Amino acid sequence: MIDAAQGFSVILILGVSVAISWLISPYVTGIFTRAPSRVDRLLNPVENLIYRLAGVEPTHGMGWKEYFLSGLLVNILQMAVAFVILSSQGMLPLNPQSFPGLNWDLSIHTAVSFATNTNLQHYTGETMLSYLSQMAAVQFLQFTSAATGICMFAAIVRGFTVGSKDMGNFYVDFVRTLTRLLIPLGFVVALILVWLGVPQTLSGHVMVVTVEGATQKLPVGPVASLVSIMQLGNNGGGYYGANAAHPFMNPNPQSNILEMVLMLLLPTSLIFVFGELLGKKREARPILIGAYTLFGINLFIAFINATHLGPGIETRIGGFFSTFWTVVSTSATTGSVNAQLAAMHPLAILSALLGMLIQAAPGSGVGVMYMVMYVVITVFIVGLMSGRTPEYLGIKITGRDVRLVMLAFLIHPAIILIPTIVAYASGAAAAIGVGSDSLGFTQVLYEYTTSAANNGSDFFGASANTVFFNISTAIVIFLGRYAPIGLMLALSGSMIGRKRGTVVGLKTDSISFSMVLVGSIIIVVALTFFPFLALGPILSFFQGYVNGLG
Amino acid sequence: MKDRKSRLNEKERASYKPIIGITIISLLMCGLSFPLLITGLAQVLLSNQANGQIVQLNGRSVGSTLIAQNFTLPIFFHPRNDSASGVDPHITLQDAYAQISRIHNATGIPSSALEEIVNQNTEGVLLIFGSPYVNVLRVNLMLIKTFPSAYKDSV
Repeated sequence: MIDAAQGFSVILILGVSVAISWLISPYVTGIFTRAPSRVDRLLNPVENLIYRLAGVEPTHGMGWKEYFLSGLLVNILQMAVAFVILSSQGMLPLNPQSFPGLNWDLSIHTAVSFATNTNLQHYTGETMLSYLSQMAAVQFLQFTSAATGICMFAAIVRGFTVGSKDMGNFYVDFVRTLTRLLIPLGFVVALILVWLGVPQTLSGHVMVVTVEGATQKLPVGPVASLVSIMQLGNNGGGYYGANAAHPFMNPNPQSNILEMVLMLLLPTSLIFVFGELLGKKREARPILIGAYTLFGINLFIAFINATHLGPGIETRIGGFFSTFWTVVSTSATTGSVNAQLAAMHPLAILSALLGMLIQAAPGSGVGVMYMVMYVVITVFIVGLMSGRTPEYLGIKITGRDVRLVMLAFLIHPAIILIPTIVAYASGAAAAIGVGSDSLGFTQVLYEYTTSAANNGSDFFGASANTVFFNISTAIVIFLGRYAPIGLMLALSGSMIGRKRGTVVGLKTDSISFSMVLVGSIIIVVALTFFPFLALGPILSFFQGYVNGLG
Repeated sequence: MKDRKSRLNEKERASYKPIIGITIISLLMCGLSFPLLITGLAQVLLSNQANGQIVQLNGRSVGSTLIAQNFTLPIFFHPRNDSASGVDPHITLQDAYAQISRIHNATGIPSSALEEIVNQNTEGVLLIFGSPYVNVLRVNLMLIKTFPSAYKDSV
């Protein structure tokens, strides 16, 4: 367990994150309501120029299908651009180390992984990616995937909002999320990171002769601009293979705390934005309480057995902050790591898996979307138990609505558990040296969980750079991203124009509902995944493989 | 018939144009302008950090304070060699203290002076966060600077 000072630092960091999230939420809400803002004078001309150049009709409102398809097709084209850059980087500029292009399967995997906010990496950045790839493939997709997730969130909330005629315009939401939120915030954060010690240069790797006379290569590059958006956008894919354990990405305790706050910032802020967009601020309550209660449970599980400074843990970060970070990074589905997962206690891994299986504690840009999915499931269950017609926000929940949310929920176990079994049955797991004991099983289960949840933390790294793992995880990542978004948009789109009564039954903005919500999330997630968790980290725990994973 | 077809094409073009336009514009904004602008500003305003905090000894670059380098001679503090990044530039304060007697035996520098230098180079405590650690390259460079006679044959 943790000591009092550590407990205090948990409360302080979470408190500050929630407070800043709350403070910026009215501004973020304005991005989607298009309310007049002080930044209009500067940004309206820029945005209008973009709309004109791109042929966007900003007043055009989209139905859910058009909104979804616009986002999906923009994302697919962005994947294609990244694929071309990654696979042909050897012929392109800004490649001072002369790295060759990536293989087709690794290029596909990387493009899909980054365009979907997953950032699972089967490559080592500092020895395989040119500066152009790090910028125009990786950083580019880190911005656009974060923006896409936030847009999808906004569209889904619009469907539930009284008086909405459509889901909004994807292109307008996308442009405004970039120009008003991610680029300006990312700009400030990147400069703070440079100040704290993160490099930002286009000069090649620096060669030095060390004090004792050996030659050493220092892999600098455009790092700070990447770290800024990777944490802010809940992306998690690092510049270096060691991710945020590398001192150039996370040079000191200050940068470590800053990056943790950044991971929590937007997902938490969007919870408040949810209430503000709906025009019912109290409806954000169950989502906030639910998300942070589940987050607290994950923290508690991870802290039962403190990780100490040892192999796989960086000195400047230490065991406590490595564990705390792992929970933040998986619960906020970011996926960056500041220690080797193999150095983590099985209970910390169990907590990480739970964060990714829930996806809403607080999740990423689409965290609130998953929470709405759980809310609908919960009102349905409560409706069954009390014999009343289930209602949410005064709207009657129909059989079709429940089928849509159940499908959105069940996709997740299907795309995690089936490929896990296939990886073993086909021999693909054994081919990269993964055993069929509880440790190996945990690693394979983790690989597909991180893919399905669009998280990106992993045990394997470049060792999973095989055609099987590149392509199978790319498929899981793609389905894990777009299938739930499409289904939830369909649900939300069908709410437009539906009759809304006054809430007579269950009050979803109450504390008691929040607790029922937490309970039902734990029950549905536990029932679905328990057998697999039992074969993995739970078995490891009982086998006493303490600090022995991997 | 022809009219209908051309109208359909126009409509299709209209719906595909934003997909291409938004992709190109976002690539230029996020993938090129953003990192290039940050690079320019960082190079002008914070060039030491932006270039990897390279340190000099006798006018030559000998490494970065953020990247561990190998020290094997007994006269120096040694880094750890088991960390996650593989280039952990720091050791704990206890680890640094534990190496003092070896350096004292190899160089003859009084233990109290070594302890003083370690203490001067201790960092990592931010209010209540974290536990103290020592930057290995920085403390070794300090040793060389403070006791040039003890190190003149080795560097």
